[in-house]
Amino acid sequence: MSTEFNLVSELHDKSLVIKTEGYINSAGGEKIVHEFSKHSDINKLILNLENSKVVNSIGISHLIEIIEKLNQSNGKLVFTNLDPTIEKTFSIMGLFQFADKADTVESALKG
Amino acid sequence: MDNNNLVEKLAVQVESFQEGFEILSKSLTFIEMVKSFLHIIRGNFIITEIYSFHKLASDSKWNNISLKKIPDQSYLSCLVDSDNPSIKYFEDLQIKVSINLPLADKSYLGILIGPKFDKSKFTDLDKITLQILLQVFDSAFKSFLNRQKEKALVFELNEKVLHLNNLIDTGIEISRYNKRRVLYDIALERITSLTNASSALIEIVKKSQGIVKKYITFPTGVEPDKILNSKLKIHSSFEHQDRSYTFVLSEKETRHSTTSFTELDQMLLDSISRQVSVSLENEYLHKQALEKEKIEQELNVAASIQQKILPESLPEIKGYDLAGINIPSREVGGDYYDCFDLSKGKFALIIADVAGKGIGAALLVSTLNAALNSYLQFDIPLTEMAERLNKLIYKSSPSDKYITFFIAVLDSISGELDIVNAGHNPIFLLRKDGNMEKLDAGGVGLGMLDFGLPFEGQKIVMNSGDKLFLYTDGIPEAMNDKEEEYSDEEMINFLKTNSEKSSIDFIDSLVKSVKDFAGSAQQSDDITALMLKRN
Repeated sequence: MSTEFNLVSELHDKSLVIKTEGYINSAGGEKIVHEFSKHSDINKLILNLENSKVVNSIGISHLIEIIEKLNQSNGKLVFTNLDPTIEKTFSIMGLFQFADKADTVESALKG
Repeated sequence: MDNNNLVEKLAVQVESFQEGFEILSKSLTFIEMVKSFLHIIRGNFIITEIYSFHKLASDSKWNNISLKKIPDQSYLSCLVDSDNPSIKYFEDLQIKVSINLPLADKSYLGILIGPKFDKSKFTDLDKITLQILLQVFDSAFKSFLNRQKEKALVFELNEKVLHLNNLIDTGIEISRYNKRRVLYDIALERITSLTNASSALIEIVKKSQGIVKKYITFPTGVEPDKILNSKLKIHSSFEHQDRSYTFVLSEKETRHSTTSFTELDQMLLDSISRQVSVSLENEYLHKQALEKEKIEQELNVAASIQQKILPESLPEIKGYDLAGINIPSREVGGDYYDCFDLSKGKFALIIADVAGKGIGAALLVSTLNAALNSYLQFDIPLTEMAERLNKLIYKSSPSDKYITFFIAVLDSISGELDIVNAGHNPIFLLRKDGNMEKLDAGGVGLGMLDFGLPFEGQKIVMNSGDKLFLYTDGIPEAMNDKEEEYSDEEMINFLKTNSEKSSIDFIDSLVKSVKDFAGSAQQSDDITALMLKRN
């Protein structure tokens, strides 16, 4: 894992896929929020965390912010390719009450 | 407007007040709430110009939180600085209403309202409606604050559960890995995430040299100096073997900046550090245990090889009394003895001691035994046999292994002993008259050198009443708790004073004497002895 947090995004109709790489901390969380904010007309955000194995609670708070914004407009956040440790962390922090998870981006796009 | 009319109109508006409260309550942020509130005011009074301001405390400056700039700075003079809620109405100014609303979190909301679209004055109904709307906003804001507190509490609670869970999971996961690099990476990732640190490192120092062996960082690629030079950092250290390990965390994150680590963070760091320490210790102990098990297995194999080679019983030699014993030490020592019946009344008495222990020594004894079985079938001069054995053992063994060897071929009819002593302890022939002869002619131990040096033989005759005593150094070198040796002198003395016993009784009482001397001290070498008496 490199020092810098990076992400790439792709728009599929009204679904935005963001793939992250690196530590999702405060800076990483802010970058995700910023990328999400650039697309106002989406109803699904798919967050592919395949290359992010570590997240802290500041990063999680940014993700919660995105979840709340999406829920307001009946949108959904779907996490994919979750590391088991991160999946457990999200589960404990209650993220899956308001967001979904899927094994792959493809299944998240179909669902 | 009379009061009844007013009440009727207000009653109609109740639903819109409720709607307003719901809209405001759904806001996720304060700014969103204010924006929605301005929409409500705009909609209720058909206003085109409306501005909102916020200050954190009564003596702070007002911040414009409207979507647009105020066109005229003089508007600001309409804002009221007061700790009490107020609504002021202006007739002659562009701004018609100035609101000052102290909020539940001790901050202040200021609102400036321009003229109505139709330029009409604010009626009594408008004023009461505005009053009620402000109360609706105040209630919605209190509800918003409570929700934020509740969310924060739930988040904090979940975080505590996460901490506990992560600690347990990390402990389990760390204990699973015997590859140190994986162990360090996991520990760093977990503690960084648990404490919201920006980065972390492990510094490993070789204590004896005081040199930093390595730094391992998370995220990888972060410069160690960046972490070590940070003003906001905590650390935890432990030592293991000849190294010291220090965990360092730097720059605890908040939503907006960085802050100092807390006592809880230090506790979490110390806990992870301890888990890594325990894991390293377990890895070390595990390796030790495996090594010990391997050694024990080797020794068991060696012991079983040795037991198969040693004679179960010694042949009967007419006119002679022969007895022997081998008591292996806890660690297999490679002592060997035997008596071969060479037919025609000839017998070969052999005693040997392999330098070294374990499977290597046991295999060498096995080689010696096999070679003797072969060579003794042929009537080869002992000196030549010793040379052949020397070459064989030299080729078969590593440089640190050799065999001290004594062979005496007895012609039981004549009593002649044909002897070669290759590096072994001097063997004693105790004559009937009490005279002691040392038999040490020969050469160096078998396998020690291969310079082609000849071995020297010796011939001597054993008469009636003479005793030939063969032994390995496990007897004279047996030690007691005070690290005193049994000694050659004591052994020779015992031989002289107990030689009238039968060979088996002599051997048994010699062993008892050695064991009584050694006491509780552990037997460090094999005890091997042969006693041959000519009747």
